[in-house]
Amino acid sequence: MAKDKAELLQGTLDMLILKALSLGELHGYGIIQRIRQLSDEMLNVEQGSLYPALYRIEQKGWVSSRWDVHETGREAKFYKLTRAGRKQLETQEASWDRLVLAIAKVRQAT
Amino acid sequence: MKWWNVLLDRLRALRQRETVINDIDREMRSHLELQVEANIRAGMSPAEARERAMRSFGNVNRAVDAAYDVKGGGLFETLTQDVRYGARMLAKHKAFTSIAVITLALGIGANTAIFSVVNELLLRPLPYRDAERIVMLWEVSPQGRHQNSTSRGNFRQWRQQSTSYQQIAAFSDQRLNLTGAGEPEELSVQMATPELFKVLGVDPILGRTFLPEDGEEGKPAVAVLSYGLWQRHFGGQPSVVGQDINLNDKKYTVIGVMPRNFQFHIQQRSGTGMPAELWIVLPMPTGPGANERGRFLSTVARLKDGVTVDHAAAELRTIHTRLSNETPEFNKNWAAEVLPLREQFFGNVRRPLWLMLGAVGFVLLIACANVANLLLSLATSREKEIAVRAALGARRTRIVRQLLTESLLLALLGSVLGLAFAWVGIKALMMISPKDFVSLQSVGLNVTVLLWTLGVSVLTGIIFGLAPALHVSRLNLNDSLKEGGKSESGQASGSRRLRSALVISEIALAVVLLASAGLLIKSFIRLQQVDRGFDTDNVLTMVVPVSVARYSEDAQFVNFFVQVLERVRHLPTVRSAGIVNYLPFYGGLGSSTGFKILGRPEPPPGQGPTCDVRVADSGYFQAMGIPLLRGRYFSDSEERESRHVIMINEALAREYFAGEDPMGQRLDVLMFDTPQPAEIVGVVGNVRYDSLIDESPPAVYFPHSDLTYSFMTLVVRTDGEPSAIAPAVLREIRTLEPNQPVSNVRTMNQVMSEWVARSRFNTLLLGLFAGLATLLSAVGIFGVMNYSVALRTREIGLRLAIGAQPRQVLLLILKQGFWLTIVGVVLGLVAAFGLTRLLSGLLFGVSAVDLTTFATISLLLVFVSLLACYLPARRAMRIDPLSALRYE
Repeated sequence: MAKDKAELLQGTLDMLILKALSLGELHGYGIIQRIRQLSDEMLNVEQGSLYPALYRIEQKGWVSSRWDVHETGREAKFYKLTRAGRKQLETQEASWDRLVLAIAKVRQAT
Repeated sequence: MKWWNVLLDRLRALRQRETVINDIDREMRSHLELQVEANIRAGMSPAEARERAMRSFGNVNRAVDAAYDVKGGGLFETLTQDVRYGARMLAKHKAFTSIAVITLALGIGANTAIFSVVNELLLRPLPYRDAERIVMLWEVSPQGRHQNSTSRGNFRQWRQQSTSYQQIAAFSDQRLNLTGAGEPEELSVQMATPELFKVLGVDPILGRTFLPEDGEEGKPAVAVLSYGLWQRHFGGQPSVVGQDINLNDKKYTVIGVMPRNFQFHIQQRSGTGMPAELWIVLPMPTGPGANERGRFLSTVARLKDGVTVDHAAAELRTIHTRLSNETPEFNKNWAAEVLPLREQFFGNVRRPLWLMLGAVGFVLLIACANVANLLLSLATSREKEIAVRAALGARRTRIVRQLLTESLLLALLGSVLGLAFAWVGIKALMMISPKDFVSLQSVGLNVTVLLWTLGVSVLTGIIFGLAPALHVSRLNLNDSLKEGGKSESGQASGSRRLRSALVISEIALAVVLLASAGLLIKSFIRLQQVDRGFDTDNVLTMVVPVSVARYSEDAQFVNFFVQVLERVRHLPTVRSAGIVNYLPFYGGLGSSTGFKILGRPEPPPGQGPTCDVRVADSGYFQAMGIPLLRGRYFSDSEERESRHVIMINEALAREYFAGEDPMGQRLDVLMFDTPQPAEIVGVVGNVRYDSLIDESPPAVYFPHSDLTYSFMTLVVRTDGEPSAIAPAVLREIRTLEPNQPVSNVRTMNQVMSEWVARSRFNTLLLGLFAGLATLLSAVGIFGVMNYSVALRTREIGLRLAIGAQPRQVLLLILKQGFWLTIVGVVLGLVAAFGLTRLLSGLLFGVSAVDLTTFATISLLLVFVSLLACYLPARRAMRIDPLSALRYE
């Protein structure tokens, strides 16, 4: 593993996927790419963990999916944030912010 | 959490596993292609691009698998696999499956049937609003007789002085003649104070019920109809409200109709013995001439919120103590009690019902033990198959789950068939049950009952499945694979011990049930043997209520019955005929009151003697075969005109005239407004009127001319079948009075058989369950012995080969079965000694630990199980040594 890559905390993958989709409809490959871009190449999500997470999120009703043709003419399955997903993203982001703040405070104490 | 999305995905995966996998596969491949294209754009050669993409993707199949874990069938899929496999297994072992399913169905069916009755009578809310707040108020007589009716005067005091109730109502049932519209009909009518419907909290479906002002004097008389009467007599016409009807020739206006299932019937204290079909306002007159003291009222009340039954009871006791002090001549030593309505309705059936539920629980346990046994035998023969699965990597939990699935499948099959049995069983129960036992008549298979059955079957599936499953899962792989799974390996002897234990417990359970049934049967026989004081054969009875409005003078009623009897006595085959006001065991309430013996010192208030009061003529004693012990019967003239004479029973003569001649003595029986001493002219034998268990209380008989009733019961003794004479008797009555209603035409044997219906019902049912238990445990011991013989074929063959006599082999096997049985019987007897005490309230003339009964049923069970062992034993005896030794 490259040293400049960040490790994903448990449970944050869902939030990252939702965040990536909040900017527009994407297919699985696109989600990985977008997370990489947004994180300045620091976060690389594995396919093996992306799809199970994506399917779980879909079962929770936070995203919906459909097959469509990609701009390159190839077909792909596209995912889109639902209203519930948007709400969920807000909740997760808020709780993430609180966590970061709390950890920062604890760390400043010493 | 959108759990149903998960569920939908899982179910979809079950039905279209291929489609789901294809979809995931397609997505993965599209992902891969996108990566390849991106790589090419980044300047790689197509081959290199693909290789890099593949490498970064890892194993496509693994990715599909991981994704399928989320989207695929998961637990459902293994479950369907298990179910499918289990079903195939059950189908393969048809004999096993059918025996197991039938066994379970018997157990579950019996349970469901009894539970549906328990549910209906003991668990379901009563059909009144907030029924748990409704209570009955009763007096308790100085003799300790509970649920005694109260008087108008006392009821008024209760109403005025109590603070525990929202409303309180008094009522009394009476038979009245409905005339006017349609056929004249004799009805059971409930006369109630206007609050009754408020107390019960039931609204009419048409019109209104009573208002407080309906009870005021001078208001027009109003009536409320039951749904049944409305349909039957008034064709269900809504216009009935406002219509006038005649009750005993008095005019009433119909004001409302009650819902179809509404009834309020206090069986124990009803004067009519049947649910009321019409309600009218109970007159509560005050002032001189008003009957303040006759105890004929039942009282029902609705507790205020937050008031407990105990609190209300304490308050009522306080009030009643005060009444005893204020009016000692009437209330001295009388107490009062409060009874919740459910207790009132079903208090007397609660114990037998829970006992029955316990009994069918035992039957079900036996069924479970049997099926567990069968499964164990099957599991032993499946050892190899299971060992192979384990060797191929199946985990222990997976194997246990597979076996449990099979058991549950069996249990569910059993419960489906069991429901069919239960349905038939409920119908049969309704047919043989005493009338008041299933008084709501709506027992059936409802949701609660179905849930219960489902719960029971899942539970049984786990109970009988767990032991074999755990046993098998603990198998030693090596041994099982090496051996054919058919010999006495270490596990097999372990399972044999388990199976012996199961059979022993089956037998023990059967002993408990048989002992209980035996005790009930013995009590029932004792009950039948009780001397009732009369002869029931060849006696026809019928109630003849005469319209009060048609005759105004007592003499007219007396005369009517004299004429009826004259005509009836002349009919062919009639040997004697008479009248009585209340038949023995007719199921209702007779009068009981105090009396004074003239010429003896007056006892202190409340402590004077009491006696039952009956009205009868000489013909009654002759027709019923009640012996005249001393003196004479009433003369013809005494029966026609009041001469103040009475007859007394033996109990009264013995208790109050010991060593004296009662003849010519005079009694003042407190039945009249003014003292009316009457002379004793004869003593007749004791007759049991409302209990086969208690001794007959003292009783006096008035001739009809002295104490006139508007209705009397005709009693006719014939030569031959008594019911054959009924049409002729009716014809004679109708010749005298064309519109005369007649009801309850029954033979005396029918009357008696209805009276003992309850104990016959208990006996029959428990006997049935005990029989079932015995049969099942016989099947159980047969199965075990049969299997044991199969396992020991080689050993037995060897014994025969070296010279054992077939007879010795027979004894060997029988002995094995005999010991199992003895251990089971002994354990069962120990349990029975403890448990049959629960029956004590239902037993009569036999102790709860009756040794004869216990010995008899033990012998019976030993005999049955030896019989069950005999077949396998005979098979063992006939084993051919040669083929046995070659076996395997």
